[in-house]
Amino acid sequence: MRGTAIKNRTKLPNIFLGLIMLFMYVPIVIVIIYSFNESKLSSVWEGFSWRWYQELFEDEAMFEALRNSLVLALSSSTAAALIGTLGAFGMTRAKLKANTSVEYVSTLPIMIPEIILGMVFMVFFSLIGMPYGMTTLIIAHTAFCIPYVFMLVKARLVGMDKSLGEAAADLGAGPARVFRDITLPLIAPAILSGMMLSFAMSFDDVIISIFVTGANTNTLPIKVYTQLKTGVSPKINALCALIFAATVIICIISAVVNRMRRPENREDSVTEY
Amino acid sequence: MFILSFLTRGETWGVVWDFTAENYANIFEPVYLETFWESLKLAFISTGFVILLGYPFGYFMAKLTRKWKSRMMMFLMIPFWTSSLIRLYGWIVIFRANGTLDSFLMGTGLTSEPLKLLYTYPAVVVGMIYALLPFMIFAVYSSAEKLDMSLVEAARDLGASRWRAFLTVSLKLTLPGLLSGVILTFVPSMGLFFIADILGGSKVVLIGNVIQDQLMKTHNWPFAAALAVALMLITTLFMVLYRKITKVKDLEGIV
Amino acid sequence: MKKILAIIMAVVLCMTIAGCSAPTENAADTNEYDVGGTLNLYTWEGMFPQEILDGFAEETGIDIIYNNFDFDETMLAKLQAAGGGDYDLVIADDYIIEMAIAEGLVQKLDKSKIPSLGNVNPVYTKQFFDPTDEYTVPYGAGVQTIIYDPALFDVEIKGYADLWNAAFEDNVGLIGNYRVIDGMALKVMGESYNTEDTAVIEAAGQKLLELAPNIRLIKDEGLQEDLISGEVGAGVVYTSQVTMAKMAKPELEIVYPEEGLGFGIMSGFIPSQAPNPNAAHAFLEYILDPERAAACFEFLGYYCTTLPAEEFIAEDMKEFLTIPSDFDTSKMEMIENVSAETLELHEQIWTAFKAECE
Repeated sequence: MRGTAIKNRTKLPNIFLGLIMLFMYVPIVIVIIYSFNESKLSSVWEGFSWRWYQELFEDEAMFEALRNSLVLALSSSTAAALIGTLGAFGMTRAKLKANTSVEYVSTLPIMIPEIILGMVFMVFFSLIGMPYGMTTLIIAHTAFCIPYVFMLVKARLVGMDKSLGEAAADLGAGPARVFRDITLPLIAPAILSGMMLSFAMSFDDVIISIFVTGANTNTLPIKVYTQLKTGVSPKINALCALIFAATVIICIISAVVNRMRRPENREDSVTEY
Repeated sequence: MFILSFLTRGETWGVVWDFTAENYANIFEPVYLETFWESLKLAFISTGFVILLGYPFGYFMAKLTRKWKSRMMMFLMIPFWTSSLIRLYGWIVIFRANGTLDSFLMGTGLTSEPLKLLYTYPAVVVGMIYALLPFMIFAVYSSAEKLDMSLVEAARDLGASRWRAFLTVSLKLTLPGLLSGVILTFVPSMGLFFIADILGGSKVVLIGNVIQDQLMKTHNWPFAAALAVALMLITTLFMVLYRKITKVKDLEGIV
Repeated sequence: MKKILAIIMAVVLCMTIAGCSAPTENAADTNEYDVGGTLNLYTWEGMFPQEILDGFAEETGIDIIYNNFDFDETMLAKLQAAGGGDYDLVIADDYIIEMAIAEGLVQKLDKSKIPSLGNVNPVYTKQFFDPTDEYTVPYGAGVQTIIYDPALFDVEIKGYADLWNAAFEDNVGLIGNYRVIDGMALKVMGESYNTEDTAVIEAAGQKLLELAPNIRLIKDEGLQEDLISGEVGAGVVYTSQVTMAKMAKPELEIVYPEEGLGFGIMSGFIPSQAPNPNAAHAFLEYILDPERAAACFEFLGYYCTTLPAEEFIAEDMKEFLTIPSDFDTSKMEMIENVSAETLELHEQIWTAFKAECE
């Protein structure tokens, strides 16, 4: 595979990748720049200032909301990855006649407008007498994240070379072992992208959250979207810039750690072609 | 929700248990039909652009070295871990009269006066592409990544042109990814309306707006449910059609 | 065996998605409902300055848990699902409070616990949603006004009718409140905001369609930014937006439409099953203090509803936060709840209007 990358005579694909990345990052850069704007208004530039960062750090409720959002996004993306992967795996294995309808049902949550989904969840939890709080949030978020994992994992499983698994089985591996040693490494990239998408979706969801949240489980998006009466405070820009900086730092650290562990990793990577 | 769509609204709040089909008849008011048409139009345009940009991206990304693959994935996701509303506000600053884009274009001499791009249809389409692109990229990537490049090389060795090798081998093998990607972009794009509200100045009225208004402004929950059912039916219809078309191609083999 | 397992997995997947799975997994911290010394406040984000919230905790030892909703309707739906419990104090818009009271979700105030109740400006009391002032304490009022940049146009704006002038083509921004905008056309026709006459409302709808070419954008949040940046030259906006726009760009002109003024009041109420009503009363009393109220309204940018607070408001903000002294209050009209059919008609002409603007 490294061979093909070198064989690529043209630089065009790389330029294309770079341009799209630029497109993705432009708004973020703007947000970061404006987080240093002295003015409350984004239409006026009154000079560089740390004012919003200061105000942000005085706002404990904001960090409480951030904590809630992180807990929620982590648990629901993990749960969704688990259920979505098992579902997709089970489905391709079962070769059910009803495959298409199962697939259809699994995409339903994306089709139903979020606001209706939110209300349905709200009524549902109130009917079964479950107090609104973190638990209801996690259940609702897991449910709407599953389709994303499911679709991505399925796309990868479909047409995957079954002979690998069969070969392993012939060599005496049990189904659990086949799944762990053969299938899982093969579908890992899809699970990972599904999880990352789920995390992002959950971390940003407001409509469903607002209906199933409890009396002390405000999430970050709820705080952002409910500033209708007074206008969105640039504090949020500052917070976004901080979150962005934090993720970049985490990425760099993990890249460095990976590099240090590289030599051993080489052997593992045999599973990839 | 389905049951709800047949009920009657309460006078000011809530729902009365009276079965009626009137909610469905209401959908055929020209005002609401138009919003369905608008939603479909926008969904098709955005999905089209997302395929055009996202497919090659996912495909090229899968050809990168392992190190760059994981880096790309992180790079792609990081912007999406910040609030989407705030990112949309970033776009407002870019598109605004005399904003970032205008200053850039006028500075380089490409245009001579402000474009007035904000609150127009193109601004909405850009916002939609921006929000939906990662879904397509990830779907295509996860199926292109397992693509065995030796197959493509074999086709090339047998004398197929670059394009032909791509069409007969790569495209066919990444079709499941593209299919998932289209579902993951088309379906949500039917319901996404706040992008149209924020970047389009609420002038592009989508079915999502009407549902939201019926729930939050007129408190007519059954009608909102009926609209949602209709929305789901239309989305399903297009998914079925889409699947039929791609299946047929599958059988014939894309030559 | 494998197949059965696979089928079970697929079924579990479907069930979770349909939302009917048993809630077994994901037991997170469920230490909610501990209401000892806390006040569960439920309102929009950004309604109080941080110092005021912190000060309350210092003074009374009651911690505030600040919860947010986006729309009034979300609040009512949530309050209903919680059976009037979960929250101690809600601050919301007038019309939804009338509905909440009708649904039995509001408890009467214990006025003995709010000695400063007399501080409320009488202009804002005894309104349609609470005619006897038994349930609510007003916290901020707003009127919808026109604001424009006179340098850009040859025409002077006196009232709503002037917005129809072709001079404003593609240059007007509106707030996204359908009753206000539909009502604007009604006012131009000399009708009431709250008319139930369907023929009149339909005529207003036709009238609105003629306004469409002038509309550049419709949005609730952040309209002041577009006025300041020059994206639009004129706008129909809320009071808080007027305050922000005018302070950043003093050349803008405020117009109280000659046809009449629509206004709304935000009020605090205590839900029927509030876990800690005492804390709610204490907080209401706390924010009725004139000096604190002045700080609140300077932060909020809405009309001050606490009369003695007016003298504490900074001079440069006073004109934005208090009703002008020469104001003809008889021209003011509140937007009240109307019948379901009328509401639906409003929604329909509103949707048609927005679509026409494109």
